[in-house]
Amino acid sequence: MSLASSATDFLAARTQMALTLGFHIVLAAIGIGLPALTLLAEWRGHRTGDPVYRELARRWARATGVLFAVGAVSGTVLSFEMGTLWPHFMAKFGQVFGAAFAMEGIAFFIEAIFIGIYLYGWDRLSPRAHLLSGLPIVVGGIASAFFVVTVNSWMNQPRGFRLDVHGNVTDVRPLAAMFNPATPPEAVHLILASFMVCGFSVASVYAVGMLRGRRDAYHRRAFAIPFTFAAVTAPIQVIVGDWATRFVAARQPVKFAAMEGIEHTRNGVPFKAGFLEIPNMLSVMLKFDPHARLRGLDSWPREQEPPKNVPHYAFDLMAGIGTALVLLGVWALLAWWRRRDLPRSAWFLRAASLAGVGAAIAMEAGWTTTEVGRQPWIVYGVMRTGDAVNPGSGLTAGLYAVVAVYAVLAAVTVTVLRRIARAPEAGAATSGPDVPSDAAWPEGGTGAPEGGGPEGGVPERGDGAGASGSGAERGEVLR
Amino acid sequence: MTGVAVALLLAGLTAYLLFGGADFGAGIWHLFIRDRRLIEHAMGPVWEANHVWLIFVMVLAWTVFPPVFAGIASAYWVPLSIAALGIVARGSALAFRKVVPDRYAGTFAIASLITPFCLGAVAGGVALGRRGWLSPPAIYAGVLTTGLCVYLAAVYLTWDAHREGDAERFRTLAMRTGYAVGALALIGAVTFGRTGGAPHSPLIALSAIAGVASLVLLWRRSYLAVRVTAALAAATVLWGAAAGAHLGLGAASAPDAVLTVVLIALAVGGVVLVPSLIWLYVLFQRDDKERAAFRGSQA
Repeated sequence: MSLASSATDFLAARTQMALTLGFHIVLAAIGIGLPALTLLAEWRGHRTGDPVYRELARRWARATGVLFAVGAVSGTVLSFEMGTLWPHFMAKFGQVFGAAFAMEGIAFFIEAIFIGIYLYGWDRLSPRAHLLSGLPIVVGGIASAFFVVTVNSWMNQPRGFRLDVHGNVTDVRPLAAMFNPATPPEAVHLILASFMVCGFSVASVYAVGMLRGRRDAYHRRAFAIPFTFAAVTAPIQVIVGDWATRFVAARQPVKFAAMEGIEHTRNGVPFKAGFLEIPNMLSVMLKFDPHARLRGLDSWPREQEPPKNVPHYAFDLMAGIGTALVLLGVWALLAWWRRRDLPRSAWFLRAASLAGVGAAIAMEAGWTTTEVGRQPWIVYGVMRTGDAVNPGSGLTAGLYAVVAVYAVLAAVTVTVLRRIARAPEAGAATSGPDVPSDAAWPEGGTGAPEGGGPEGGVPERGDGAGASGSGAERGEVLR
Repeated sequence: MTGVAVALLLAGLTAYLLFGGADFGAGIWHLFIRDRRLIEHAMGPVWEANHVWLIFVMVLAWTVFPPVFAGIASAYWVPLSIAALGIVARGSALAFRKVVPDRYAGTFAIASLITPFCLGAVAGGVALGRRGWLSPPAIYAGVLTTGLCVYLAAVYLTWDAHREGDAERFRTLAMRTGYAVGALALIGAVTFGRTGGAPHSPLIALSAIAGVASLVLLWRRSYLAVRVTAALAAATVLWGAAAGAHLGLGAASAPDAVLTVVLIALAVGGVVLVPSLIWLYVLFQRDDKERAAFRGSQA
């Protein structure tokens, strides 16, 4: 079936791609959202002169530094794998979708330049210039996510080329390939998913802290900013998700049948999720007609079907977690509406502390749905995954090496991030000379001494103007 | 059109060698130098931007010469995979060290050593007519690439050390590496000049002149000027190898419609990129007297 030297090697190539992409996607998601959160905190810090915000900005900037680096290098691995694992795909179609990657490269370049300026420029730039130097990171992050997703949407809806009688690619139109029909729903869905993963992940760190009794202003705001960001995104994502699902139903009905577990073509298809089964509901949801006829997997030849269980369970998992996250946001909204405060129940914080992992799982599940649902094609309807793979032997050994390195990488990344989130005493001992007064924030109070970090001799610039209004605005969030 | 694409590819490779390569070299010096703070301080703000040149080269290669990229990637998937994991280990370790300065030094240094070797061996293997990456000429290319990285790093760091007060140690290291890598490059030039086809003696001569000039400039303590000549000496080695390589790029080129879109994107992006990149380098190379004074008071 495939070009691979063995079935094991083919499976190894697919597993390696799934693992490295699944790893990168979480970091990329946080890399898109965290700079925006950091800038928001820094901006509030300038406006109010409140040291809580400034400390938040510093901490999140350090976390951004780590996560951006790991995201950048894990993204590079994917670039290598495009060629080392799927050379036939690249040889034939690199010219068709390559322009999108060139644009992504430019956007990523801008991100990488300004991440250096932003992270190391605290004491080399004026506060305003420093804040502005963060904006290209946010814009570049969203832009590069968009460009990368256009390639995946192209793999689902290949456009912008023709195949001649010999199967060679001709008449290449790179922009038509980029702006294929799947691009709008996929790109919006993924960018919103990134906001949710980032917001809920950061919030869940502080939800855990609050569960442990640290309910000071620092933790409350550190929770409230990202949580609000994610909770506002969640209901919008439901609408976008519906759009994306309808798009798949119209353009890739076989993927839709696998996602919804429709085995047989029939009228009045029930909605199935887990143990739940509602008669005729899927027909209603899709066509607004309880007796509408939907195609089942039995209407395609076996060799054109995706595996039927994985997309179905993954899709249900994603939709289920997404719904739970929306409800979590509603819970917070109700409490805010009634008492101008977070819900008092520890159950809210328990749920919120799981929301980060949950959002990440939902993102992985969504990714699994679209990727496995496209099989057996690497380019939908045009090239089979098995015809794209590297015929070299030993891909399985390569997979083992990758698994080992990534396991260590994941463990160390978590350790280092915990260190950043940890008590400031430890941070003060380790912060480098580039982040003056980093980690000057003692646990549990708002009266942090300013500029009390390891570089206490360097004066903080330009905070005098904002300080006058700080009393009134301090503690405005969730007080 | 294909000529423009080839020129851009070579420019990207050159930038990756001169900037990204020097970062790998700095990582290798990490193995031998006690003052690691200087190295990481110099790399910190710029290494990610320097790394993007590799992405630039790969993306341009697979867009403009897809079959060539795919052929190289599939034939050399083993060293390229090792290099990819090396890039992961190097970058992550450096970022982790900023938070936990007393750990991950070994990973950082060893990954900095392995990665340029593998990339150099692939480049050498490809340039010499698809030789295996563990064939002697490819190994030579890997070692030479690593040597160039080490040399560039020593030269660049001499200026950084000078700004911090004491350049003597790096000056000595840069001169010694200069002798060693120069000799290594000369052996290759003589060997491949005899056996290889195309004579590219002007580039070899230019490289030799720039290398000797660098030694003189180091001796005279012109630490900024030597950055330029050392970069030229290294770049001409790459250009010489490229001039002698036969990749069959012309036949493998993507249609003009693709090239046009890519070139327009690069031109538009360049309007933002070039000034930003200059700002990045100037910002962190600018001598900040306040900081220097502060360091002095701490020392």
